[in-house]
This record gives sequence, C-alpha cells and structure tokens, in this order.
Amino acid sequence: MASANFTIPANLILLTIGLPWLGALLVWWIGNSHPKAQNILAVAFALLSGVTALALIPFAGKETALTISVGGPFGDFTFVADGLGIFLAAIATVIGSLAVIFSIDYMHGDHQLGRYYAMVLFFIGAMAGLVLTSNMLLAFVFWEITAFCSFDLISFNNDDPKAVAGGIKALIMTQLGGIGLLGGALLVYSYLGTYDISTFLAGANKLPANVLSLMAFGFLIAAAAKSAQFPFQTWLPDAMEAPTPISALIHAATMVNAGVYLLARFYPAFEQVPGWTISVIIVGVLTALLGALMAMVANDLKRVLAYSTVSQLGYMVYAVGVGSIFSSQFHLLSHSVFKALLFLAAGAVIHSVGTRDMMQMGGLGRRMPLVRLVFIIGALALAGIPILNGFWSKELVLESGMSDGPQWAYIIMVITAGLTAYYTARCVWLVFYGQPRSDLHGHGDAPAAMSVALIPLAIGAFLTELLAGPFIRMLNETLPFHSIHELSTLEIFQDVITAPATLVALAVIALGLLAWFTRGFLKGLSRPTQGLVKIAANSFGFDSINNSIVRLIQVCAEALRNTQTGMISWNVFGIVGGLLILLAILLIGA
Amino acid sequence: MDFSLFSGVFILVLGLLGIGFYGLLAARNLIKVIVALQLLIKGVIVIFIMAAHYNNQIDLGQSVAFTIIVADTIVAVIGLALAVQVRKHIGTLDLKKLTTLRR
Amino acid sequence: MYANDALIWLIIAPMLASPLAYFSGKLVQRKINTGKRNWTEYIPGVLTTLILISDLIPLSICAQTLLDKGVVSVTFGQITFHLDGIGFLLTTVVLALGSIVSLYSLRYMREEVGEEKYYALLTAMIGSIIGLGCTSDLFNLWVWFEAMAITTVMLVAFYRQQPAALESGVKYLVQSATGSVLVLIAISLVYTQVGSLSLDVIRDSVQSPSLLLITAGALFFIGFGVKIALVPLHTWLPDAHSQAPSGISAMLSGIVIEAGLVALLRALGSLFFTGNQWGYILLGFGALNMLVGNLMALRQIEVKRMLAYSSLAHVGYMLLGLGTAAAFGQFNGAAGGFFHLANHALMKGSAFLAAGALLYTLHLAKGDHAPLVVDDLAGAAKRYPVVAFALSVAVLGLGGLPPLAGFMSKWQIFVAGFETKNAVVIVLVIFAALNSVLSLAYYAPLVNRMYREKPSHLVETGKPASLLFTFPLILMTIITVIIGFYPTLLNWLTYPAASSLMALFGA
Repeated sequence: MASANFTIPANLILLTIGLPWLGALLVWWIGNSHPKAQNILAVAFALLSGVTALALIPFAGKETALTISVGGPFGDFTFVADGLGIFLAAIATVIGSLAVIFSIDYMHGDHQLGRYYAMVLFFIGAMAGLVLTSNMLLAFVFWEITAFCSFDLISFNNDDPKAVAGGIKALIMTQLGGIGLLGGALLVYSYLGTYDISTFLAGANKLPANVLSLMAFGFLIAAAAKSAQFPFQTWLPDAMEAPTPISALIHAATMVNAGVYLLARFYPAFEQVPGWTISVIIVGVLTALLGALMAMVANDLKRVLAYSTVSQLGYMVYAVGVGSIFSSQFHLLSHSVFKALLFLAAGAVIHSVGTRDMMQMGGLGRRMPLVRLVFIIGALALAGIPILNGFWSKELVLESGMSDGPQWAYIIMVITAGLTAYYTARCVWLVFYGQPRSDLHGHGDAPAAMSVALIPLAIGAFLTELLAGPFIRMLNETLPFHSIHELSTLEIFQDVITAPATLVALAVIALGLLAWFTRGFLKGLSRPTQGLVKIAANSFGFDSINNSIVRLIQVCAEALRNTQTGMISWNVFGIVGGLLILLAILLIGA
Repeated sequence: MDFSLFSGVFILVLGLLGIGFYGLLAARNLIKVIVALQLLIKGVIVIFIMAAHYNNQIDLGQSVAFTIIVADTIVAVIGLALAVQVRKHIGTLDLKKLTTLRR
Repeated sequence: MYANDALIWLIIAPMLASPLAYFSGKLVQRKINTGKRNWTEYIPGVLTTLILISDLIPLSICAQTLLDKGVVSVTFGQITFHLDGIGFLLTTVVLALGSIVSLYSLRYMREEVGEEKYYALLTAMIGSIIGLGCTSDLFNLWVWFEAMAITTVMLVAFYRQQPAALESGVKYLVQSATGSVLVLIAISLVYTQVGSLSLDVIRDSVQSPSLLLITAGALFFIGFGVKIALVPLHTWLPDAHSQAPSGISAMLSGIVIEAGLVALLRALGSLFFTGNQWGYILLGFGALNMLVGNLMALRQIEVKRMLAYSSLAHVGYMLLGLGTAAAFGQFNGAAGGFFHLANHALMKGSAFLAAGALLYTLHLAKGDHAPLVVDDLAGAAKRYPVVAFALSVAVLGLGGLPPLAGFMSKWQIFVAGFETKNAVVIVLVIFAALNSVLSLAYYAPLVNRMYREKPSHLVETGKPASLLFTFPLILMTIITVIIGFYPTLLNWLTYPAASSLMALFGA
C-alpha cells in the first residue's frame, strides 16, 4: 500500500492520528463492564497523542512529510507538518486530553462509556488528521469523520428526542456545507489532476477565473457551515444537548474552528477572487453581531456559551477576511483555551446542580469557589480584559480590522466587543452571584478529575499570549504562500498597547460591563429594544426557516409516497407511460 | 415480401399487443392479467417469425419461437400457481384487493 | 486452455448445485421425518455454500486469462460464452454475495418448510446471473434474464402462506414479465433491421441511428429498466425486497437489479452509434432515481422497505457514473459506477442481512411474520451488539460517510462528473451529493434508535442471534471499512469492467 518514507515527522503524524484511533478501538473492545479500565485507556491514549502532537513542533516544515500513494482518482494521501497544522493538531490533542480527563467525573456511571470514549478518541484523531493532511480528498474525509463524531456525541443520549434532533441537525447542516468543500476539491482535481493543497496554492492562477471563484465561495459555504457562521449558525446552539466535555472540545475548541482553518489555509488562493474577501468579512461581522445579541438574551447557560462561540468564530472569520491570518489563528488559540475553560467550568456547575437554566441558579459561587474562580478567569478573557489571552488576540483582530478592513465592519466589531462584555458579566452574575433563585441541591465544588482539567486551562488563559512570537515565526517559516509579517511576542504586545484601536475597544468593553451593572438605571432605555430582544430570543427567525425547509421536504416525501398505490394496473401504467415518454423524448431529440 | 402478408401480420401483432396491454391495464382478475401476458408474448413471437422470414433465417426464427414458448409457459405456470395460492390464502383473485403493500 | 474449461465449470457448477441441493434436501427430509432436528438438515445449505465458494476457483483461473487477453470465450454447440470485464465483475460479485447469503441462510431458513427448494432456486438464480454476464448473443441475454426473473419471482414468494409475500410475488411477476416482453420486442426490432442476434455482429453493422433502432433502444431501457427499478418502473421493488426472505432481499438488492443494469449496458452497447443519447438518458434516470428513492425512503418506518427504496437511490449513483462514461467517455465514471455496484452489493447486502437477523430474532423466531419497523430497533445495540454495529456501518456507508466503502465509490463517480467539465453534469453531481445528505436524514435516526438505552419490548424478549448471522456480518463490515481506507483495493475488479464498458461505448 504505502511507499511511505518513515521519517520522524512521518511517524509522529501517523501516531498523532493513529494513537487515538487505536485507543478508540481498545476502549470499545474492553466493553462497558470495565469502566475503570476504559477511563485509564482513554486518558492514556489521549495524552499520548497530545505528546506526539507537541513533539511534532520542532519538526515543522513546509515539505510533505508523509506520502501514502493510493493512485487513481484518489490521489496520494499526503500529510505535511506545517505550522498551521501542528498548531491546530496540538490544540485538538491537548484540549482533547483535558476533556477526556474531565469526563472521568462528568460521565461517571454512564452505561455507554465505551461508545463515548471511542467517539471522542476517534474525533481527536480525525481532527488532527484534518489539519495535518495536505490532500483535499483526505481533508474532506476527516472533515466528514469529525462531523459524524460530533453528530454521534451530540445525540449521545439517544433516548432524548431533543438530543437526537440536535445531532441530526448538526450532521445535516455541516454535510450540506461540506458539499462546498467536495466540489472545490473535485474542481481542483479536474483542472490540475491533483488534490495537493500546496500544488493548488502555487497553481491557483492556472484555473479559469470563474472556476476559482466557484471554488472560493464553495469553501466559504463549507467553512460557514462547519464554524456555525451566518446563515448556518443555528445548529451550534442545538448541539448543546451533548455532554458538556463534548461541547468544550468539539463545539468550542476544535471542530468548529475547522471552518476558520479552511479559510486561513486557502486564503492566498482566494484573496484575488473578486468579492470573496468582502463576503468573508460580511459573514464574520454578521455572525459576530447576531451571536452576541442572542447570547445577551439566552437563559440556558450552555446556549449562552454556544452563542458566544458563534460570535467569537465570527471574529476569526472577520480576521481572515481582512487578511490577517495570524490574528485569526491567534484568536483561535486564545478562544479554544478560554472557551474550553468556560464550558468545562459550566459543565462542573451543571453536573453539580443538574440544570442548565441560569434563571434557576444564582449564588452558586459560595458553594463552588474553585469553579467560580476559573469561570471568571475564562469570562474575563472572553470579554477581552487585559492581561488575559483573549485581550491580546481580540485587540489584534480589531487592530488589523481597523487598518485593513472597511470602517463599518470595524465599528460593528467594536460594538460587538462591548456586547460581549455585557453578556459575559450577565452570565457570571446570574450563575455565581445574587440570591439563589431556586432550591437546587448541588454536590459542591468540582471533583478531582474535573479540577485537574480546569486548572491548566485557567493558567493557560493567562499565558498563551506568550506563544505569539514563536507561533508567528513557525507560521512564517512553514507557510510559503501566506505573507505573514514576523514579529516577536514583545513587539506584538507593544503593538497592541500602543494602537489607538485598543483604547477604543477597551472603552467600549468598559461601557458594556457598566451597562450590566447599571441595568437598573437603563430599564427605561431598554424598553424600545424589547422587540429586538424578542427577535434575538427566537434566533432571528433562522430556526423557523430551517424548520420550514425540513417540513417542506417531509411534505413532499409524504406526498410522493401516495404514488406507491400498490395496484398492479397502476404499476403497469408506470411502465407503459415511461415507455411512451422516453420514446417521445428520443424521437424529438433524434 | 408480399404486401398483404406484411399488413396482415402487422394488424395481427398490433391486435395482440393492444389487447395484451389493455388487459394488463384494465383487468381486475389475476387470471385475466396472466392471459394478457400470454397474448403479449404471442404477439412478440409473431414479430420474431416475421423478422426471421424477412431475413431468410426461418430456422433461427423457429428455434427462437420455441424457446420463447417454453419460457413463457413457465411464466404462466408460475403465475397460475401464485394465483392458486392467492385464492387459497387471500381468498380472492381481485387485484383491487391485493393492495395491502403500499406507500 | 484451462481457461475455457474453467469458464464452462464456472457456468454449470451452480446449475449442477441446484438439483443437488434439491434432492439432497428431499433425501434428508425423508430420513428425519420424526420431527427431531439434527445436523442433517444443514446438508443442502452446506452443499450449496461449498459449491458456490469452490466456484471461485474456476473464476480465478478465468481471471488470469482475462487479465492477459482481455476476454475468455468458449463455444458450446451454437452458443458462445464470452467472459469480459463486465461479466467478470458480475460473476465475482454474485458468487461472493451468494456464498455469504447461503451461509447466512443455514440458520435463517432452517425452520422453513421447503428449505431445499430455497437453495435450489438460489443456486439456479446465481447460475442464470453468471450466464447473463457471459452471454454474447442478444437472445441468450434474454433467456438468462428470463431465467433470473423466474427464479427470483419464486424466491420472493417463498413464504407462500403469507398474503403479503404472495401479493408482492404477483406484482413482481406481472411487472417483470411485462418488461421482458418489451425486451423481446426490442430484440425482434433489432433482428429485423440487422438480421443477426450476435452482439458483436450487431455492433459492427449498426452505424447510424434509424427509427427502428431508436425505438428498440427505448424498449431496452424500459424493458430492462423494470428489473433495474428505474423510476417510474420501480413500483415492484419495495414490495418484493421487503417481503422476500432476508437473504434473498440482499441478493435482489445487491446483485439482481445490477444484473439488469449489466444486461441493459450490453444491449445498448450493441446499439451505440455516433450520437450518445443513451448516456444522457442514463444520467436522467440517475437523477430521477436518486431523488425519488431518497424521498420515498425518508418517511418510511419499515426497515426493509426503507432499505429497498434506498436501492433506487443507489442505482441512481451507478447510473450517474455509467452515464458519464457512456455520454462523455469518462473512464472514472465507468470504474466508479462499477465500484459502486460492488460496494452497494457489499453494504446493502450487509444491511439487509443485519436487518434480517433482527427480523428473525425479534419476529420470525417467535412465529410472527410482522414487518420489522424502526421502533422495534430501539436499544438493539445492547442485546445484539454485532448486528447493530454491522447495520450501523452498512447504512452509514450507504449514506456515504467516510471512511467507509460507499464514500469512496461515490467520490470516484463524482470525480468523473467533474472531469467532464460540463456545467450540467457538475450540477448533477452536486445534486447527487445533496441526495447523499438527504439519505443521512433517514439513515442517521436508524442508527440513533439502535443505540438507545431503553430497549423496546421486542428487543427485551428477542431470541439470541446465531453465530451464522454474526459471522457473515462481521466479515462484510470489516471489508466495508477496509475498502474505505484503501479504495484502490478493488481495482482488479472494476478496471477491467470499466475497460470493457469503454470498449462497448466506443472509446
């Protein structure tokens, strides 16, 4: 099968993908009667893949590291360990390991633990594969595997019809978008005879302009569906039926970033396509704004975080649109850390009190001080408060938006930053402060394994911005087609601090926070916005659009079933009628 | 070829096929449908004989015709056997009542 | 020289197996008429399985020569058999699937009255499909086609005490007989014009379209189309597939409708003249089949009926690939179409066998002939982990999820579509991809249902699944996954078939 040259990076790549998959098989094989062994195996294999992914960092390079020749219309299965790929693979495996550790407590006593861990590990491997491969067919394969794992884990609790519906919705919507990626890969193959991404990036100008733009917009659709961007944002909130570690891993830190990754990866080829960058900006801006507005009015703790994820992904897409690949990936890094932290902390809360409704919480901070502490750290990072990682990356995004993007987009994004601060404050307050609003019997603070997962993330929220310099250097050295300006961490910090955009943004964020704490005074002012609140609470009507499409298809299907009458004369009529129609077509055509 | 022979055979074939298709579309009784199938296939045999005659390969036409007769007899036998079972287990040969499998 | 003998054995071995299975079954039955069951009742099934598996030996001998020379042919009296790539593909798939089905049927059919007839008919059907794959003559094509139709009708109505099975048998008989009449008319028209029945002679002498030949082509389409279940000729299919014994459902869906497709391609190949309208019509039927099949399956609650409707959709994918081959000369289209044929036999066979295993353990073993509905499957994974897993893999593969076999063959077909660089075909491919997504909307809930915590009442009281059910399922599941990881594994099968097809359609 393989004419692979097994160099060190090649082996590491294979291990990063293969170890979790092997672990998935083993966990599944052991069976649900040995939950302890399953826990140990799952954690061990997740950690091992994390180690191999991190070990790849010194081997980063722009050359193809591993080739498995398959041939025919499938091309060669190639992998390349460049900066972008290693970076995302490291996020997937490291946060994946933390999520698996967290799950030991969270999923304690579940009857289908084997399926759960197998799917999580399968996902981790596929996500690493998706970002490390340089073959578009293989990228599509991994893309679909992650979608499938996400589906299965969202509807993990199959007895709950809401979970099943959410899972299928996520599957169908990401698959619909996936057709954009499929079409793009096929177009490249039909014109260049290869699926190799670097070959395509080098030879993009050999494609006819209309084909290239078809491809660019196809990839935009794929990315929008995967990253829950406008107008596909509706699946992510419904995906919150998943167990919370899954929401942290798949629906905050990794899979939803795949869309942003795709746009960033192919940016050099599509940059010149007329109307593409502005479309990306529009998608990002609209999503960021709509997500933030919906997060302001949601009452389900996980849905607030989901809307906020949608909104933050909008920031990353916007950053790609204005051409700042680095700031989008940097924000991706910060976001994965603080959002995984927020989700896991929320998971600890939900695990403890047994509900997701923030209106029933309140005053939980006293009972779970550790969870409150880490949640607030995550929330401050999300709001963009200095010196947390979210501050640096968001400011960087806004700064490049101000200098390279249209002004209106920048203004909306800054306002959205203010809204973010508002809903973050609201969320923290409703959960941890004030008086308990109902009689919830919590188990108390996070148990051991949960804490083990939470604390590194909380520390990470303070520190990941230090990686900016090395990261940008790695990107610069290994991405030959992207033009990335190399800076050191210190220079980036100076940049951010001295930029006028930062002051503006901080002022707006402060306003947002102020708005929450002075909400009593603003009551009168909020009256006219009641209509907006209502629309936002109904997710701006996108859900009802989805539902009506589904209903339309179902009505059509139901109507079509009436053609199967079961009467022989009708069946024979089908034959005779078909013959007559075919003859008519042939004779007119001939 | 003799014109009157051709037109005579043509009318015969059209008649057989027409009655056969009409029977398939309109008959309500399973036995009648089987008869209609037989009529159709007889029409086809006539076309074959005619074509063999036209191509001066009447021996080929004959062997083909015999083969078809064998095959369509088997079909008829199975059809009638099914009809017997249908009558026995469903109690009717009315095709309008044989519509439990639908949608 | 061995190859010629091997070809004869290849064709007549199943034909010999048929009476052997029948009489051995009768003999055994006379001996064990005491009502006590013992191992002897397995004899006809074991014989059948062994003969079918050993028929792979002459097949592999033929394969050697085939790969060297491109064709194996042997004349038997006035009849010439002619094994080319397409016939080789059909034969391989039917023998492989047939062996698995007869192994599976050892348990599934054990308690049925007339078990020996089942095996006799099964082998006769396999034999006629092999014959159909090897024929070189238009009339013989019809004879084999008719033999296949007759045996399958009898197998569909095998449960002759069951009203529903009888009804489906009647419908299948009437529709397939109508179809075969149309085929015969088409053959007689071609014969009238050309004066020969040999496919090669017809192909050489037909240069330009004439009214007679175009009509004949349309009649071939509709006549064979009944068996292929082209929309709107498909109405027999859901009934027959859902009422037949599950092994036969697997054969019907996995290979019988595809045999019709091969027959159609052979017939059309002989009528291929400069215009390529046949290819466009294949594409048109492909689109129609995909849409109707998926929409009909979407709201279906009977599992086997749902799988039957999804066969319509999958024929649509094959037609899409083969259509790009016929209309645009895309080699990948032919290879992809045949790849999908083989994969569909594998995955749909596995799906029907798994559904059958559940039908058996939940209904039939309790003496109840009710259909298996989706709700019955709730929680099946806990009690029948292997069967549920096999069914999940099979339906997800059918839905086109990587890394399973179905995805790879669809991909090859899509590549062919894009390689035409024709806007209409590209739109058609996108349409096909949308249809794959639509199909997941009924496959995915099926999987969800099986992995519920709370089992349905039927599952709680279900009988255990025999090893004879799980072993074939494990085998097919593993192959499905392997092909998904290594898609060129079947190239030895699909590429010769594609070359033969390209030769037929003048490339």
